[in-house]
Amino acid sequence: MSVEIDTRPLWIILALKSLRPIFFLLLAILFWYFIKMPSPEGLTAAGQNAIAVFLICLILWVSNMIPLAITSIFAIILVPLLGILTKKETYSLFGNEAVFFILGAFILAGAVMHSGLSNRIALNVIKRYGYSPKRLLLCVFLLAAALSFFMSEHAVAAMLFPMLLELAKSLKLRPGKSNYGKFLFHALSWGCIVGGVATFLGGARVPLAMGILKETTGETIGFLDYTVAVLPLVFILLAVGFMILTVLYPIDVAGVDNAGEVIAKRLKELGKVSFSEYAVGMVLLLTIVGWISLGRTLGLAAVALGSVVILFVLRIVRWKDVEDYVNWGIILMYGGAITLGSALDKSGAAAWLIKGVIGRWSGAPWTIFALVSLLTIFLTEAMSHAAVIAVLLPVVIGMAGKMSVDPVVMTYSVATPAGLAFMLPMSTPANGIAVSSNYITVRDMIKGGLIMAIISWVLFNLMAAFYWPLIGFGRLR
Amino acid sequence: MKKILLVLSVAVTPEKAIDYAIERAGMDKTGLVVLYVIDTEPAEEILESFSDVGFVGDRPSMRLSESIMKEYRQRGYDEIGRVQIKAMEAGVEFEPIMEQGDLAEKVLELIRRFDIKLAILTKKGKRSFFKYLSRSPSDEVKEKAACEVVVFTDE
Repeated sequence: MSVEIDTRPLWIILALKSLRPIFFLLLAILFWYFIKMPSPEGLTAAGQNAIAVFLICLILWVSNMIPLAITSIFAIILVPLLGILTKKETYSLFGNEAVFFILGAFILAGAVMHSGLSNRIALNVIKRYGYSPKRLLLCVFLLAAALSFFMSEHAVAAMLFPMLLELAKSLKLRPGKSNYGKFLFHALSWGCIVGGVATFLGGARVPLAMGILKETTGETIGFLDYTVAVLPLVFILLAVGFMILTVLYPIDVAGVDNAGEVIAKRLKELGKVSFSEYAVGMVLLLTIVGWISLGRTLGLAAVALGSVVILFVLRIVRWKDVEDYVNWGIILMYGGAITLGSALDKSGAAAWLIKGVIGRWSGAPWTIFALVSLLTIFLTEAMSHAAVIAVLLPVVIGMAGKMSVDPVVMTYSVATPAGLAFMLPMSTPANGIAVSSNYITVRDMIKGGLIMAIISWVLFNLMAAFYWPLIGFGRLR
Repeated sequence: MKKILLVLSVAVTPEKAIDYAIERAGMDKTGLVVLYVIDTEPAEEILESFSDVGFVGDRPSMRLSESIMKEYRQRGYDEIGRVQIKAMEAGVEFEPIMEQGDLAEKVLELIRRFDIKLAILTKKGKRSFFKYLSRSPSDEVKEKAACEVVVFTDE
């Protein structure tokens, strides 16, 4: 047995060991101060408590000192305890349709991954179209994006990553040196990120935003309505992203024949298309049709959960598989985020905050829209996407009412940019995966990501200003 | 007999570092210990990030983390093989070691265990601003090792 001796100076060891307790002690003092200080004019006691809970959650979500889901649970405990909402109201918010829609969508995505269908589609597309260096990159980029339309972008990144590692090895790309390697793994992360904002399914952020919107205003966004509104942005970003990568990383390989052999070998290992692949594909297709055609009448969650039941009736998945493929912590996080949003709204805290922030400012609504989307894009680089929505959206929806802007439009100003995190490995798991390959350095990611973040923001605002009015969306009240 | 230690890591080690290690081992007529350290941190970070904010469960996250570790191990074999060929050509005695964990810690442990007289490491070149903000494992080894340490900068 070896004994490790810490040779650092004692004061450094003590300081590092006490950092965490000090952080939580300061947080507790701050929280106590906020709830005990005299209520500012126009703010109820419940509203003041709601703001205190909001600030604590904000600090915990940004600092990542405890898991996101645990912060949400903390909010759920504090909201009824401090009399912001009743116990019944608080826990019933967990039954929000958005939470169950996300649950259903995750189980469906799990079934798709478990059946091997997504893997087969990816391999076949690359085999069919990826026959030249440039085409292979384009294939990976578009494939990552297209798959992220139908299943979570994280699942897509996790699925494609091992395949890309094999491709890179077969092409003898040098980690950290090869332009082609950098391009390949950027194509994976950027493809997932851009594709992830196209539908409700890619990032699962939009359902959360929709849940908060419904709880605070009663309004909702349809599955197809959302996609129609953002699809041009997605297509333009894909084109621009590919061009940027082409300029930043000129192709430095002559051919990709070896990659073709890897794909052929992997496809051979998969064998023939199984019944479960056909069945899962069919159920997924019918679910999407259901979301588009019956979403408004039946509800998106009912369609998603109905499909889940069908998967079990057909014995395509077992409960054990579902358990392993779904991140249950995220479901808790989403429930807590909706509770927090509702607490801010119903206690009058959101309205009070907005009054304080905006005051008598009468800026143009589109200025607000542009500023909110910019703030979202920068916050999402450092925070979880869902946490950004949970923190910003309740305030932004309240702001919409005061500024005479449609709250649905303002919901887009947070929900869509919250997914566009290109710059840092910690911004989203897709970036983290790409950097862990060592083909991309953090510096590479920041360089390309910053350009892409700025372009995304500009394009998003241009789309809102010029395209949305054409489809009858985005009018001011 | 005191040996020479060449440290390889997940990032590709520059040829000049490998050539220098072999040349010194040949000149001093001593053995070359080649250490490849698999950094487990990226795989652990990915796993953590998926558990915390990811939309997929344990099984895909574990598979992903395993594939990262597999890739790092494979890269280790490739890198060690690259050095082995050069060492054999130069007639230098060669001993490969693959370890998992903290680079600085492993290197210091090996320096003690093998009675190393020269350790050769590589670090990434950083711009002047970042140089003052972060410290590389190579710097730590240079500070704590009881032998000569040569650090090559990979630009």
